[in-house]
Order: sequence, then C-alpha cells, then structure tokens
Amino acid sequence: MHINILKEVKSDYMGRTGLTILLSLLALALLAPLLTHYRPEDYTGLIFQPPSARHWLGTNDVGQDVWTQLLYGARNSLLTGGGAAVLAVLFSLLTGGSAALLGGMYDRVLMRLVDAMLVIPPVIVVILTAAYLKPNLLLLIVIISVFLWPAGARMVRAQTLALKESMHVMAARSFGGGRTYVLKRHLAPEMGPVLTAIIIQFARRSVFMEAGVSFLGISDPSLVSWGKMMQDALQFTYLDVWKWWLLPPGFALSLTIIGFTFTGTALETVMNPRLRKEVHHAGD
Amino acid sequence: MLITAAPWTRLRTCIFAIFVVLLLLAGCGREQAGEKTATGTAAGNGELLYTVADATGDWGLPAPYTHYARGPGYIRMSLVFDTLVWKDSQGYIPALANSWEYNKNENSYTFELNNNVTWHDGEKFTAKDVVFTIDYTRAHPYQWVDTGIVKKVEAQGDYTVKMYLDKPYAPFLEYVGGTLPILPEHIYKDVKSPEQFQTKEACTGTGPFMLEDYNKAQGTYLFKRYDNYYQGKPRVAEIKFVKIGNEAVAAALRQKQVNAAGVPPELSGTLEKEGFKILPGSHDWVAKLAINHQKEPLSNKEFRQALAYAIDRQALVDTCLRGYGMPASPGLIPPDNRWYNNKLNDAYPYDPARAEEIIKKLGYEKKGDYFEKNGQPLQLELLFGAGNGGNVGDREGELIKSQLERVGIKINLQGIEAKTLDSRVKDWKFDLALSGHGGLGGDPAQMSKFIAGQDFNSARYLKNQTMLEELKKQISLTDPVKRKECLDKVQELYAEEIPALPLYYNTYYWAHDGQVNLYYTVRGVGLGVPIPLNKMSFVK
Repeated sequence: MHINILKEVKSDYMGRTGLTILLSLLALALLAPLLTHYRPEDYTGLIFQPPSARHWLGTNDVGQDVWTQLLYGARNSLLTGGGAAVLAVLFSLLTGGSAALLGGMYDRVLMRLVDAMLVIPPVIVVILTAAYLKPNLLLLIVIISVFLWPAGARMVRAQTLALKESMHVMAARSFGGGRTYVLKRHLAPEMGPVLTAIIIQFARRSVFMEAGVSFLGISDPSLVSWGKMMQDALQFTYLDVWKWWLLPPGFALSLTIIGFTFTGTALETVMNPRLRKEVHHAGD
Repeated sequence: MLITAAPWTRLRTCIFAIFVVLLLLAGCGREQAGEKTATGTAAGNGELLYTVADATGDWGLPAPYTHYARGPGYIRMSLVFDTLVWKDSQGYIPALANSWEYNKNENSYTFELNNNVTWHDGEKFTAKDVVFTIDYTRAHPYQWVDTGIVKKVEAQGDYTVKMYLDKPYAPFLEYVGGTLPILPEHIYKDVKSPEQFQTKEACTGTGPFMLEDYNKAQGTYLFKRYDNYYQGKPRVAEIKFVKIGNEAVAAALRQKQVNAAGVPPELSGTLEKEGFKILPGSHDWVAKLAINHQKEPLSNKEFRQALAYAIDRQALVDTCLRGYGMPASPGLIPPDNRWYNNKLNDAYPYDPARAEEIIKKLGYEKKGDYFEKNGQPLQLELLFGAGNGGNVGDREGELIKSQLERVGIKINLQGIEAKTLDSRVKDWKFDLALSGHGGLGGDPAQMSKFIAGQDFNSARYLKNQTMLEELKKQISLTDPVKRKECLDKVQELYAEEIPALPLYYNTYYWAHDGQVNLYYTVRGVGLGVPIPLNKMSFVK
C-alpha cells in the first residue's frame, strides 16, 4: 500500500478532472476580491438588473451583485467543507483508531455509540441547535463534523484492525518493535490514503449539508452562501431573474460536489486493488 | 468481473453526478409540483364556478371556533355564517338584521331580524339564536369578538333582539354586529368544547354558501351555494379555494385555473396589461421593529428615538419591498387611514447624525466604529423569523443592521424559526426583533391591543399613563370627531415614546378575471380583514 497517491490520481482521467475543478474553485474563492469591485453585502441600488458589463450575473432582489455573492459563497462552502472534513477525520482517527488498538469493552461501547449516532437525522438536530445557539461558521463546522465522524470511525477502525494483523506488522512486532514504533513506522503512514479518501468524502457531504442548512435559512444570516442564494432566488421564480440568480449557485454547488466525487472515485480506484486498471510496479 | 469493475465505477460516478444535478433542479421545481389542481371556471350548465388561489392553503375548518385567527380563516368562515349586519365597499348593509337602532338613553341596540331566514339544515332562524349566540360566546369566547360588553340581551318576540351595554362602546356595531357569527342554537346548545367540534355539522350557518368539502392536508375548500339564502339565490354556484404558491399563481391565472388570487406586486403591471383587473390594497399590514423597552439602554425613550432617526424607512421600502409599500408613520396608523394624524407627516426623518448626537448625550463615546460606555461596546441583538418566507425577514434585518452600524451601534443579527421568535419576544428574551401584524384598517379599538395588549404582537407598553387613558377613552366615544382627537393624541404619544418602531406598510395586490366584481370592504371584512373577498360579491 505504499503508493504515491497524488501521482496515481493525476494519472487517472477522472481524478485529473476532479482536481482541476476543485483547484479552480479554490482559486476563484481566494481571488474573489480581485475578480469583483463589490463586496457581497453592498447595496448597489439597482434591483433585478439583468447581466451586464458592470454586473456579470446581474443583481438580486435587494440590488446586490450576484457574481460577487457567488465568489464569496465559494469561500464559505469550501471553508465549511474543508473545516468540517478535517475536524471529522480527527474525531474518526481518535475514536476508530483507539477502539481498534485498545479493543475490549472500550471498543464495544464506542462502536455501539457510533451505531447510535448513525441513525440520528442531522437536519433536525441542526435546526434545533440553531434555534438555541447563535449560528455561526464555527458552530456550523462543529455540528456538521459531529454528524460525519461516526462513519469515518468505523472505516478507520476496520483499517487499523486489518493492518494490526497484517504480515509485515506481525513481522515488525516479532522482531521486538514496540507499540509506539509500530504505530509510527507502519500504522500511521499506511493510514494516509484511507484518511485522504475519508476527507474527500466528508468534504463532499459537508459542502452539501452546509448548502442544505443555509437553504433552510438556519445558518448565520450574514454569511453569503450558495444555499441561501438559492433559497432567496426561489422566492422570485415567477420573474426572469432565476436564470442568472438561481442557476449559477446551483451549478456551482453541483460542480463542487462533482469535483469531490471525481477525486474521491479516482482515489478509490487507486487504493482498491480490485478497481485498478493496471498496476504500476516499482521501476515500471 | 475484475475487468468490468473500473468502467462500472466510472458509470456509477457519472450517474451520481447527473443525479446531483437532477436533485437540485427537482428542488427548484418542487414547490410547483402537486399544486396545480386544474379547475374549470364554468360548469357544463353555464353556472359560475369560482376558484380562488391561496399560498398557505389550510386556514382551519370554516366554523366560528375552528377557523384560524387570521384574515383568510375568517373569510372562509364568513361564507357559511352570517352576522347581524355586514359591510360592503361603502358602509353597513343589512344581513340577518333588517334594521337596527341605537338608544342613547338606555345605551342599547335593537335589531329587527329578517323573518325568512333558515339554517342550512332547514331549521328556522329566530331571535332565540341571537340570544343564544351572545350567551354562548360569553361562556366560550369567540376569538375575535368580546361579547362581555353586552350586559343583557333579550328577545322581544321571534324577530326582535335588544342588547343593553355596560358602557358606551364605539366599535359595537363593527364587532358584535358585523363580526360575530350567529350560531344555530339547535346545534351548539349541547356542545361543551366548541374548539373540538370539528364535524361538518359545526359548519351549519345562515350564510350564502355551505361547506361541501374541506381538505386540511391539501389546503382546499369547496363551498356550494345555499339555494334558500334569504337574500336571494347566490349568483356563483361554487367557490373553491386551492393552494397555489406565489411563483405559480400568475401562470394559474393565465391558464384560467383560478379566477382570483393575491399576486406578487412585480406582476401586477403585466397582468393588468393582459386584461386582468388589479386591486391594490390599503396599507393595513405594518412591519415593526419590536423593542425590549424593559432593558437598558432600550428602556430609555431618547435611545429609542435615536433608533428611529438611524433607520431609513424609505430605503427599506425601496430596497426590501422594491418600492411596493409605504414608509410607516411613527404613530402606527397609516397615512391613508381616516384616523391618521397629519402632524406626524415629517416625524423622524432619516438623520443618522442626529441619532449619533442623541446617543452621545446619553453618555456614550465613539471609539473606532462603535459607541462605548464604561468600556462596554454598544451592542444589540436583532432577531428575525427565518425560513418561512415571512413578510419581514433577513433582507430587512441586513439593511437595518448596516444602517445602525453606520451610526455606531453594533448589531448581532440572528435568524430563528418564526414560532421560537414569537415566544422569545413574548418572554422579553430579545433586544430588537422584526415582526409585524395586520388589522390597522379595522376599528381603532384595536390600538389598545397593539400598544397595551398582552400578546407578542403588542408593544406591551404601560409606562405612559396619558396614552393608556386616551386609549381607553376613545373606545367609549361614539362621536367620530371627539374620537379622532383622542386618537390624534395617542399617535403623538406613541411617536414620542416609540414602544415599537413601525417600519413600513406593504402594498398587496389582488388580480381577478372580472367574472365577479371583487372589491375591498370598507374598513376590511369583519373587524378589518384586508382581503377583497366579500361574500356579497358572490351573491348579487
């Protein structure tokens, strides 16, 4: 399993497409202030303007520039996606890894907890939390990651158990390698690809969840978000504005999710020997 | 198997990607799906079937104790139940009572009833039903009318009723006469809890239409005319209410699926050009900034006045309503209302400099962008109801936040679920909150409810004794000139105290195809429902 993931993913057509999409979105999000003259909360005074040289995607119901909102919305989507994914992976690693290594009662209790967590419907809990706490970006990231980690914990646990019993780890141990040594030299590096795959999967899910939550109107109202843009635009579908107001965030969201999915699939292909087309052997 | 695995994965991914796109598109179209219940406008025999679209749908079973306490609920109920008197676009018209008379010395009203009225089940209607209704509603209050002011009610023969009042009560005819639905004694006498009485029998009235079908889940109503209606057989054979969202309503009108509907203001111009009749409403709905006047610094009158100067009400109308509305008078009553006080024409113009000045006088100091006092930044929380497409929401919140922050007041904007918002306002767990209510077009007796009432829509402001006394006094004044003087004073005091800051009045538009002459009822249907569906337009 010692594979150069990046190289493998890049050599895959789907992986290349996915990475290109994600990197372009990241560039747009980071360079937002250079790509527009407005700030997302600016009132231009021009309401429901169709696309023009000044407003590439026109303006919305209160006269804010839609293109600007789309760019800044990408920042929040990617930040929430990335943030929640990293946090959830850390949780997963901690719980899944420790369960596999320590085993026993601890393992059983923790895994039943994970089972219980898996059946809680996230949206309802998010709505309830938002009603009592002030929703902000950090809270949103934490809540989303709380719902993501159980699935990851199971995968990490399974992978760790498999690795623990694998031949080379057994060999290392029989030659006198201690727990810490095995963890550092063998377990941690070999978990890399699995963790990357989990992160990508989590990021995809959290981008979608963030859009869903803001679509329902329960996120921080001062955050520009694609979900919120779509929700606002949906109230005016009887006018022509949906063409430049509703469709762009919808496409942007789809594109982001497609980007994550492609990258994730490419990763899966790399790591799952049964899905590989050809095997690159060292020295090929 | 191993060879086909990779293409299969790729295919699966593509399918997933397409699915995501479809899911998004499906989400966009979801609100329209299932709402199109095609209806014909004319039955085969040339009888007129009239369909009205409504965005909400369900407004409760159309009986007095089961309809929702909002305008559309009352309208549906009013088709089935008649009142003693009614109103058209000009003023009072006879209904169950042919004529009525006020005796000033006795402080009593005498109603002469129609003698050819029957209930929908064929029973004869008599004065006993009216006496029963007053007695019954005293034990089981009807949500909109307080019959406690009637000291004594007596039937004089079968078709005369006399009611004695405790004290002079200006809105008597409007409330007890024109809003209270008369109940059938033979059906309601054994009903112990009328709110639980949810059968079709509960909808036995004397009105021009009978309830044929009500579907709570779909939000649809079907009313059939009552052929033996005492004012003549109604012209419209059936009235149907269907649930159609704002986004689909124009299409439904064009496709002749509905005859009348409230329409988004942007479409009123286009629809008028296409031949529809447009009815712009009066300004009976007010958006308000509710203020927690029990808490520092909002308990200070001058601070609340500073807020009034800091918020640009015209900009709210221009930006959030796209011009379809009117900036609110700080005295609450809208300028196109007959009780409006002209002196308030220029009260509280947008003046952020003046707002800053007032706040400075209160001991605050501007450090950087925001004011501070004793090292504490001037910070307020602004709540709005999120997610249900309500009238005042995030758009207004964002604009008010930016206006107040320009002056130097830091605002934490928070959207919460609408019912949670109402309960937090009720428990005084807020600083500022956006809300609103209708009913301004009805009898000004309601001003007491909006200012000193106990529910969350009220400012619950009891600190100004003079205002409270004037509010009480105006209800007993039957002379309109004196009443107006009293209300002028109330508005001036309200504008001075700012228990809540009125922001704007929405302009609502109704469009219809002209088959029935719809109109707005003077002072609203019943006690002030600003909907142009007066049952009499379907009768004659």
